[in-house]
Amino acid sequence: MADPSLKTKWSRHSAWADILTASPSDAARPCGVNVVAREGLGVAGIQAQRGRKAALSALVKMRYGLELPTTPRAVRDAAHAFVWAGPGQWLLVAEQKESFAELSELAAVSDQSDGRAALRLSGPNVRDMLAKGCMIDLHPAAFPSGAAAMTSIAHIGVHLWRVDEQPYDRPAIFDILVARSMAASFWSWASASAAEYN
Amino acid sequence: MANATQPFRLPQIGLVDRNAPLTFRFDGQALSGFRGDTLASALLANGARLIGRSFKYHRPRGLLTAGPEEPNGLVELRTGARREPNTRATVAELYDGLEATSQNRWPSLGFDLLSINALFAPALMAGFYYKTFMWPASFWERLYEPAIRRAAGLGRAANAEDPDTYEKAFAFCDILVIGGGPAGLSAALAAGRAGARVILCDDDFALGGRLLSERREIDGLPASQWLARTIAELESFPDIRVMRRTTIFGVYDHGVYGALERVADHVMAPAPHQPRQRAWRIVAKRAILAAGAIERPTVFGGNDTPGVMLAGAVRTYVNRFGVAPGREAAIFTAGDDGWNTARDLAAAGVKIVAVVDSREQVDPNLRTLCEGFGAPLYAGASVFGASGGKSLRRLAIREANGSVRTLACDLLTVSNGWNPTIHLASHQGHRPVWNAAIHAFVAGDLPDGMRVAGSAAGRFSLREALLDGAQLGAEAAQDCGLATKQSAPAPATDPEAVAVAPVSRVAGSRGKAFVDYQNDVTDRDIELAAQEGFRSVEHLKRYTTLGMATDQGKTSNLAGLAIMAELTGKTIAETGVTMFRPPYAPVAIGALAGHHRGQDFRPVRLAPTHQWSKELGAVFVESGLWRRAQYYPQPGENDWLTTVNRETLAVRGGVGVCDVSTLGKIDIQGADALTLLERVYINNWSNLPIGKARYGVMLREDGFVMDDGTASRLGETHFLMTTTTANAVKIMQHLEFCLQVLWPTLDVQIASVSEQWAQMAIAGPRSRDLLRAVIDEEHDISDDAFPYLAARMVSVGGGVEARLFRVSFSGERAYELAVPAGYGDALARALMAAGRPFGVTPYGLEAMGVMRIEKGHVAGGELNGQTTARDLGLARMMSGRKDFIGRVMAGRPALVEPDRPILAGFKPVDRAQRLRAGAHFLGLGRSADLDNDEGYMTSVAYSPNLGHWIGLGLIKRGAERIGERVRAYDPVRNGDVEVEICNALFLDVEGARLRG
Amino acid sequence: MRLPCPHCGTRDVQEFTYLGDANVKRPGADEMSEAAMTRYVYERDNPAGRQREYWHHSSGCHAWIVVTRDTRTHRIESAEPAKPLVQS
Ligand SMILES: [Zn+2]
Repeated sequence: MADPSLKTKWSRHSAWADILTASPSDAARPCGVNVVAREGLGVAGIQAQRGRKAALSALVKMRYGLELPTTPRAVRDAAHAFVWAGPGQWLLVAEQKESFAELSELAAVSDQSDGRAALRLSGPNVRDMLAKGCMIDLHPAAFPSGAAAMTSIAHIGVHLWRVDEQPYDRPAIFDILVARSMAASFWSWASASAAEYN
Repeated sequence: MANATQPFRLPQIGLVDRNAPLTFRFDGQALSGFRGDTLASALLANGARLIGRSFKYHRPRGLLTAGPEEPNGLVELRTGARREPNTRATVAELYDGLEATSQNRWPSLGFDLLSINALFAPALMAGFYYKTFMWPASFWERLYEPAIRRAAGLGRAANAEDPDTYEKAFAFCDILVIGGGPAGLSAALAAGRAGARVILCDDDFALGGRLLSERREIDGLPASQWLARTIAELESFPDIRVMRRTTIFGVYDHGVYGALERVADHVMAPAPHQPRQRAWRIVAKRAILAAGAIERPTVFGGNDTPGVMLAGAVRTYVNRFGVAPGREAAIFTAGDDGWNTARDLAAAGVKIVAVVDSREQVDPNLRTLCEGFGAPLYAGASVFGASGGKSLRRLAIREANGSVRTLACDLLTVSNGWNPTIHLASHQGHRPVWNAAIHAFVAGDLPDGMRVAGSAAGRFSLREALLDGAQLGAEAAQDCGLATKQSAPAPATDPEAVAVAPVSRVAGSRGKAFVDYQNDVTDRDIELAAQEGFRSVEHLKRYTTLGMATDQGKTSNLAGLAIMAELTGKTIAETGVTMFRPPYAPVAIGALAGHHRGQDFRPVRLAPTHQWSKELGAVFVESGLWRRAQYYPQPGENDWLTTVNRETLAVRGGVGVCDVSTLGKIDIQGADALTLLERVYINNWSNLPIGKARYGVMLREDGFVMDDGTASRLGETHFLMTTTTANAVKIMQHLEFCLQVLWPTLDVQIASVSEQWAQMAIAGPRSRDLLRAVIDEEHDISDDAFPYLAARMVSVGGGVEARLFRVSFSGERAYELAVPAGYGDALARALMAAGRPFGVTPYGLEAMGVMRIEKGHVAGGELNGQTTARDLGLARMMSGRKDFIGRVMAGRPALVEPDRPILAGFKPVDRAQRLRAGAHFLGLGRSADLDNDEGYMTSVAYSPNLGHWIGLGLIKRGAERIGERVRAYDPVRNGDVEVEICNALFLDVEGARLRG
Repeated sequence: MRLPCPHCGTRDVQEFTYLGDANVKRPGADEMSEAAMTRYVYERDNPAGRQREYWHHSSGCHAWIVVTRDTRTHRIESAEPAKPLVQS
């Protein structure tokens, strides 16, 4: 019979494994851009079935206490974020992977937890760094707290949104998702673009 | 100390930092300058007059201007891999250790053997290129081109890879202000005070524009104080971005502007992690063009002699850089502005030897001024000859009464009025219009959102510049919905006179009179063009190459037009002007590419098993954006074919595993999911049970095959569609079109899940045994429970969710097992570990290709956008009971014509011969011409199972001709192989292996 | 060029894929014929001026939109979702 060790629980490979290397932590030296890999998230694509948008909205409100956004915004609390992903579509991002089955009564739910690689970007130069590839205006007047966008950076599709409530003139914090297969290319761009600030 | 080595540096004058001396080298000679110098000003300070040789005649040339319009002062900057040709010395900011080399000279700048070209000048006249093209081509190739190339090169590019990096960046603002002179600064200030987001770009490293070059007063104080105060206020606004060393080079649709920021051109090498240059795309709601004006030269004999300079440039060198471009200056002016130069030179202690004002009537105040210089005034006179070779020595002047006199001097300042810098205003195709009052072209219709201020609008006085800027800045802010406060009164300026009566060329000139210095176009060339009938401006430009050099004729265009107008008896307005197109100034390709070069040329997609494949030594191949494992060589395997043969035989003889994660995977849910499938695939889906997969083919609406793949029914209203790797994105877009545009009422939700799932093919007679060891025990995968085309949820590794499909591309018993991508690596390793007893072999794209050709499965070579389902032998799949995309058009007579090339198999009659994809089929004994073309080979492979090459191809009436022999003719690779037409299924015709 | 996506806001044209004339309409089942399909598949006006055209916001929300654009000046008159706003 087969090796019993094969029956042990397999280990899950991070999308950033072999790509992100921890930077030498030097607390005394402030960095212009800080990058944190977001691991273990539950991510699901949610699309309302025909004629069920209002019902879905109500269910989300009841189950998660969050209002489904109808414009490009991210609505979040400590555990969950619903990010607008096109008309009638959302991305549900949970801090912990969990079942989204109860939404499938009213929506097509597709698990994307392994298909997306997530980063959280912050620091005083985060907008300068993003401006080297992001073709949309991230100035707080145009992209306020809670704003979300699907766009491309360095020819790589991204989904990004603000996760801070900082005042107008303070550096913002962004969550950004890229396709898993492009994580290495994205990092190549991101690390080159942030290097001058770190 | 510095003055000893910089004999032309003026004490006490200028904005250079005398406490920051810099050393640099020009043609190997060590020289010194100061921070704040350009290479041009530092060279002049050191007494260097001869900077380069001209392009065609190798005439000695010095500096004409002090700005980006410079046609002569081109040098090679830096050395080694960073060497950059055609750099304008007038905008190259001096840094410590700068090295520059003059161009177009051989063997040395002072003594140039190729200036002998000048003796053969008539041969190089206008139209030279055109005329030579008409001579026998062999003359051109053997004789002229090599000689001209050697003589006419414009500098040498570095021959090593550029060690620096470049970046792209995007910026957004309410108001883009182009130019940081008085108009631009006051515009930015007004807009900023209203709360607008402003970007102010200036070419220069110092803001101020002409204010840096002039001795002017604003509000009764030196302009420098207004400048310092204004810049400080601008930089205090968080939403104003001031970008120095940044050139706007293009204006594009919808308020998009291209800009080049020279981040590190002013230092020896970029700081770590800094780019050398950054190409910006700026999106602005409004733009204010405050790019100033460019002074125009006068066309007269010897006007290219080093020491003949534009009057405004001379003021720049004197007042901004503290450099006297000569010791004894003559002034040649067609207006009031030239007198400012006389005044500033005199104030700096330069001797004025004469003022030649081409106007007969000269203001009495100016006459008095001239007396103060102790210099003669020649009114109504002109300079018709300048001479001295490498440095100006003598002028020939024709007085109003016709008498001629000569005059010794080493500097001639030429003032002939200014042309508004309006290039950017016509980048969208808007023609400039002639303004007779100022004798210059001004912007006509403007790009949406653009306004023009100050000198760029032909309003040349400082007062108008400040007024325009303040007004247009405030208006632009209002246009952006911002309320402007009561504007401060415009600052008062000292009086100024700007009258001018331009002289396009001096009649009866002595010596060559240059119009376009950089392309060596003279007034005679323009006469020749006129004589030969090239009179329209577009023809004039192309025939003489006027304005076609890297400076794009910034100093020459108008003079050329004026002469043509004079020759043809038209006005300049009637003569017209050629269009200005982007880029306004040269932009390095590196800057446009930014991050995207080498490995980062475009994004790369890596499969979830990439690391595993890498550890096994896989050779990867590009497949669209993907890097896929092509084959896995083992030690001792010296060529790819050995490896691929081993992999192929291992699969057919035992079991192999291969990553197929790159296939497109589309999750389809909703009450009408089945209807969608029925409409996009040609075949039937209604009878597909839950838990089963089926092969499907999609057509484009024109009836040709678009893609193929399997779809599985996961639930009553839930399907999973797979697409080919190449078409994954396209099919998703197609389905979105179907659902949003064609059938918007269908209740279907689609989502790409390509990235979510890692998928491995497990193929070969031992595949089920291997799977049994990996899949959790509770799942029955016996052939009864899991027959061919079964598709079901399973679990692996003790509870990891997985999807198992019994599909086969290789023709063997085979499965595809999908797990969440995070487990892809674990899956590959588990398959390898569990497969050791079965001799499991990882295989790549090549072996997969061999096996699918052996089985006659179509792929990229056959799904080439020109084949129908019928061509591929799939006609019977087309359902007659439903409508589907492409149905009607697939039935067009031309697409069902019996003579169409049809899929067939091919094998070489001499089994030892190699086949080539792309070879065309010809009847035996037929000549190789189009009439005899019967089709072509689409895919080939060496079949280790058969021991010879095999091919798939499309040939007329293919299916009916099995057994017939034809030529596979491949002239590109000298291939001419006799092949036998056969069934496209080479192996296991009964399909016994598939079902085990 | 920049296109105003009715869902995402104005974006660089690089984010979009062009399809072409949005006036053509796929024949319904009852009017399906080779002639009707030929018109639908191949026949296009090529106006110098106002044109309604399909664009796909492929790097954004994945919506198909109809842009009304002047082909001479690239001025955009309107951009609306191609999918009619059916009850959802
Ligand atoms: Zn959109």
